[in-house]
Amino acid sequence: MNKWLKKGIAVTLAGAMVLGLAACGAKGEGGSSDGHLVFQIWDQGQKDGMESMAEAYMKEHEDVTIEVQAVGWDEYWTKLEASATSNSMPDIFWMHSNQIYKYADNGILADCSDIVNASGYSEVSVANATGSDGKLYGVPKDKDIVGLLYNKELFDAAQVSYPDDTWTWDDLENASKQIYEKTGKYGYMAYSHDQIGYWNFVYQNGGKILNDDGTEAEYTEKATADAIKYYVELQKNDWCPTQEQFANTGAAEMFFSGEGAMYFAGNWDLINLCTTYEDMNGKWDVAVLPKCPDPAAGEGRASISNSVSYATAAKGKNKELAMDFLKFLGSEEAQKIQGESGAAIPAYNGLEDAWVQSFADKGYELTLENLIGEFDYSVKYVNNPSRPSWEPKVEQTMLDIYAGTVTVDEGIEKMQSLVTEAMKE
Amino acid sequence: MKKKKKGLNQDNKWGYLMVAPTIIGLLVLNVYPFIDTIILSFSSAKVFGGREFAGLSNYTKMFSDAEFWRATWNTVLFCILTVPVGVLLALVIAILLNAKIKGKVAFRAIFFLPMVVAPAAVAMVWKWMFNAEYGIINTVFHTKIDWITNPNVVIITVAIVAIWSALGYDAVLLLSGIQNISKSYYEAASLDGCTKLQQFRYITLPMVSPTLFVVLIMRLMASLKVYDLLYMMVGEGNPALSKAQSLIYLFYRESFISGNRGYASAIVIWTVLLIGIITAVQFIGQKKWVNYEV
Repeated sequence: MNKWLKKGIAVTLAGAMVLGLAACGAKGEGGSSDGHLVFQIWDQGQKDGMESMAEAYMKEHEDVTIEVQAVGWDEYWTKLEASATSNSMPDIFWMHSNQIYKYADNGILADCSDIVNASGYSEVSVANATGSDGKLYGVPKDKDIVGLLYNKELFDAAQVSYPDDTWTWDDLENASKQIYEKTGKYGYMAYSHDQIGYWNFVYQNGGKILNDDGTEAEYTEKATADAIKYYVELQKNDWCPTQEQFANTGAAEMFFSGEGAMYFAGNWDLINLCTTYEDMNGKWDVAVLPKCPDPAAGEGRASISNSVSYATAAKGKNKELAMDFLKFLGSEEAQKIQGESGAAIPAYNGLEDAWVQSFADKGYELTLENLIGEFDYSVKYVNNPSRPSWEPKVEQTMLDIYAGTVTVDEGIEKMQSLVTEAMKE
Repeated sequence: MKKKKKGLNQDNKWGYLMVAPTIIGLLVLNVYPFIDTIILSFSSAKVFGGREFAGLSNYTKMFSDAEFWRATWNTVLFCILTVPVGVLLALVIAILLNAKIKGKVAFRAIFFLPMVVAPAAVAMVWKWMFNAEYGIINTVFHTKIDWITNPNVVIITVAIVAIWSALGYDAVLLLSGIQNISKSYYEAASLDGCTKLQQFRYITLPMVSPTLFVVLIMRLMASLKVYDLLYMMVGEGNPALSKAQSLIYLFYRESFISGNRGYASAIVIWTVLLIGIITAVQFIGQKKWVNYEV
């Protein structure tokens, strides 16, 4: 009897261990049933905003529970692709314009054309939720913009007037030079980045990275190449740190420790910066991007604008419920909650003020109207279906230019051929 | 006789049942992915799990790629920098920790501490200390070394951190090996008039050699798989990255950033072969110096 008891316990334990393993495999895959929705995002800073919207929805639908899960950016895409492969995606998730073609064109995402009234949202947001076939594969969530951050104290110390909408690239350089000479601190910090860096200069100069329908690269066009060259060579000035220095200390860290006077940042960073550097409140502000003084074409103004969408799987287990929640996320009510949380500028037209107001309500002194004004001439984030395969290589080439292993001209030629080749595949 | 045999079978059955959870876990989590990786390395992977047979193309591309050879060299160089120095230092610390000194237990805990700290946190703190402009290391030593952006220096920088993090763990393993040596050997040796150095050479070293061998193999494998420290300390946006990346870092970038999972699998299979060859050499070499007699 005793022997059997022992064996029984052993078998039960062994079974439990196997089950435990199986449970490990199943956990975190999402796609559960019983009115429980998993909502996955990549930005911890926006989790509260997403939860507020989920709560508003749950208040009206008592049988539904929504769980917001935030994971890091890199991990997010690894997980999402794995879950798409095994058909166990989260019920609702964010979709970035970098990746939307890959997911939409492979039939992973549900068609949201019926639940989105495209005219209610900004053009950029709708374009970023559209697949190659022209259908909407997501509900527009937000829209973003790039602005110039400046340290008022350093400007005061150097007796330079603050950046405003009359500023050109020349003013940016002159102010940087004066600040460096008078305070010993860096001026404009031009670090290697596409969206928050050289793309803005390219489009201000009247150049393009891709042609309008995204079928051809235009790196070697004169207006584009000139702007890239101009941006890269800013680091040759004494008042700008080198790419090596940026690898040691990021531009934001230098800016908020008072080592540099200006840098470009996306509006999505602002709420985080405000809370992280609480004691800097009132000592810095945002301005519009300086314009190109002598553009090859156009007015010399541009600011790259991107956006995120909400999406659900085409073959999701809770598709009906998820679609209903998606519809809610796209509604004016939910978009307003999102704006008020300060997380992001709502994609829904006319709610920009909710986002601006959220900063004032928390006591942060920033002239955010400047950023909203930039939407009048914003340029859609550069994208095409082959972007995931050319983007890492192009970024590497930019770094090689900064490292000096290739010249700017060689690098531009190389980027042109890298993108062209990637599009052929 | 017959009855006994039957009994054995019965025991076997229970034995298998007992190891089943581990075996199933190994098969599902290790063996299956390994075989799948081999298959993948001969395929061209499409998005969302699709793949088609591509023959040897991933391997031919790999062996003709300068970036790949650079990564291989970086990995080997990293091993050369970390393993001998790390294991030697660990041995020295283990011997010192075995001596009769005050606060021995506290020292042991302090040396072991880096092992319990998350590698990401370790890398972040060291990255700040190695900061070229504001870092404590350049400030204290009045140097101007670009620790994390000079492609020729960055591997040494990462090696220093890797040695530091593993030192305590290795030392504790070696310490346990040293403490297992019977005191009577040392008593006999001192009666015969052996110096401390001779005692170390002829008693401690041979007796601790099995543990030393285990530590060596473990450190070697860990060094060949270096990734997390590089990812945290060098990272994207650093111009030195393409000159300093390791094989596993290259694998990560190809697989998870560029999405070339077939090519990335070939890199990983190469890494496995490399680890296999080096470990095999170690096992053959151990016959010359590892002593298993008590």
